[in-house]
Amino acid sequence: MSATPRNGALHALMTDFESPSQFMQACVKVRDAGYRHWDAHSPFPVHGMDDAMGIRGTRLPWIVLVGGITGFSAALLMQWWMNAVDYPYVISGKPLLGLPANFPVIFELTVLFSAFACFFGMWGLNGMPRWHHPLLANDRFRRASQDRFYVVIEARDPKFDSERTRAFLASLGGAVVEEVREIVEA
Amino acid sequence: MAHTHVPTLQDTRTTLDGLGPRVFGTSLAIGVVGMLAAFGLGSAQGDNLKQFAFAYVLNFAFFLGVSLGALIFIGIMYVTRASWNVVIRRLAEVMAAVTPLLALLAIPVILLAGRVYGWMDPAIAHSHAMAHKVGYLNQGAFTLRWAIYFIVWSGYSLFYWRSSVAQDKTGDLKITRRFENLSGFALMATAICTALASFDLVMSIDPLWSSTMFGVYYFSGSFVSFFAVLTLVTMGLQNSGRLTRIVSAEHFHDYGKLMFGFTFFWGYIAYSQYMLYWYANIPEETAWYLMRSTHGWGKVGLATLFCTFALPFCGLVSRWAKRNRKVMAFWAMWIIVAQWLNLYWVIMPEYSEHAMFSPAAVALFLGIGGLWFAGVTRLAMGNSLVPTRDPRLDESLRFENA
Repeated sequence: MSATPRNGALHALMTDFESPSQFMQACVKVRDAGYRHWDAHSPFPVHGMDDAMGIRGTRLPWIVLVGGITGFSAALLMQWWMNAVDYPYVISGKPLLGLPANFPVIFELTVLFSAFACFFGMWGLNGMPRWHHPLLANDRFRRASQDRFYVVIEARDPKFDSERTRAFLASLGGAVVEEVREIVEA
Repeated sequence: MAHTHVPTLQDTRTTLDGLGPRVFGTSLAIGVVGMLAAFGLGSAQGDNLKQFAFAYVLNFAFFLGVSLGALIFIGIMYVTRASWNVVIRRLAEVMAAVTPLLALLAIPVILLAGRVYGWMDPAIAHSHAMAHKVGYLNQGAFTLRWAIYFIVWSGYSLFYWRSSVAQDKTGDLKITRRFENLSGFALMATAICTALASFDLVMSIDPLWSSTMFGVYYFSGSFVSFFAVLTLVTMGLQNSGRLTRIVSAEHFHDYGKLMFGFTFFWGYIAYSQYMLYWYANIPEETAWYLMRSTHGWGKVGLATLFCTFALPFCGLVSRWAKRNRKVMAFWAMWIIVAQWLNLYWVIMPEYSEHAMFSPAAVALFLGIGGLWFAGVTRLAMGNSLVPTRDPRLDESLRFENA
């Protein structure tokens, strides 16, 4: 059934492993070899993978913090402007800007904006949305959701050299080294 | 795994041998000296021990809360079949299992009730507003309820601790299964008793005021205090060369998450209780807050708002803070002081209309705290500090935060 065009430019080189421990050792070697644009794919989370891949902490919390502060300030400003400035209106004898009454809205908008910042910030950091990815057109890669563990080094990595990287991947002890091609529109 | 070495119980010391008697003796001495000092300071007031009684209720409420937090924590861990906590669960078990000692420490509360509780004052008890409450708020019913609370709490906490210690020897999996089946009931019974006890112990000081949220208000503060105490106890043991390696930054990260989460929960509850009364503005309800926002108590209240909620919230929000031992130790100590200050703000205005500092309250913190800690240490001696044959111990040792 595979009618996938494979004649695009080289996107990446890929190798696969049968066990998580081989896979993790391979990741440590790729990390130590100094590659930057590479990834590891497994059917389930492998504990210790962040360290093995040398992944640094995410910037997402800072994005969420900004979102939260924005929500907090927006809610406070909105209520101050609406109820105390633009249309002053006394409700059950409370001050025009009565903080205890304002906090539910402040709380809700803080949570809402933080959640949006978290959700969409995660999209942005992960390069989403995107409709397709060259790996998804690769038949061999299908077992990434079942029982295989993949190490993929992308061609855009500054250290990438098709011959040397191929030899390096082969030395990791995986089954085969396979080329992943860019998808070309028919 | 090639790069990760899963620690085992052989990598560290898991008993109090060599440390227990010393800590027990020191705590006991601090407790006794603190009690005597508080009694001396209280007597010197010349107010028929009234300030002493209020200070006693304050500190009893604080340490009772820590033990109840431990008991509720254990229940939640079994109901959710959590595994991360197993390596530190014995510490919670001994903190909960001192409830019989707290039952002894409750006797002065009952004896001193006349100096603290409004419903003991005949003028208030016979007032029209109390007509429907005197059947519940009287010394006989008060004493009976405390007996029931302690039967429930001690029953469950001793059951957890004894069975868990027994499992160290037999490795019987049925024990874990029994815990899982019974913890739901344990949580319900403990929660009801904790809420009612908070009404009796703290809220009924002013019997004319009531808040249906008061139980969860007391619980949420106590739960934060429990995690703070647990953090410091774990660090103390590690500094003495015990539980090192097996309790890792991953476990401290979870302590931090729980401290952070329940700090926020406390703030949410405290605010909700305040906001509803502020908004409805009914005199009999706002009287309680009026008393706590005038004559200098307002500043104390504002201090607790920041110290108990806003500052630890900001301090613990980051992942880095939760995984940093020094930062965690700082906030754990801070939270204990802040939660204590909050109870001070809740209880002491009923003693003095004007904001005041009570040295007896500080002495009793050491007095009741010392005795409480001596009890905890005594229970921890002789057994492993880790439930060695819990079926989830291995998962707990391997635990990593996602």
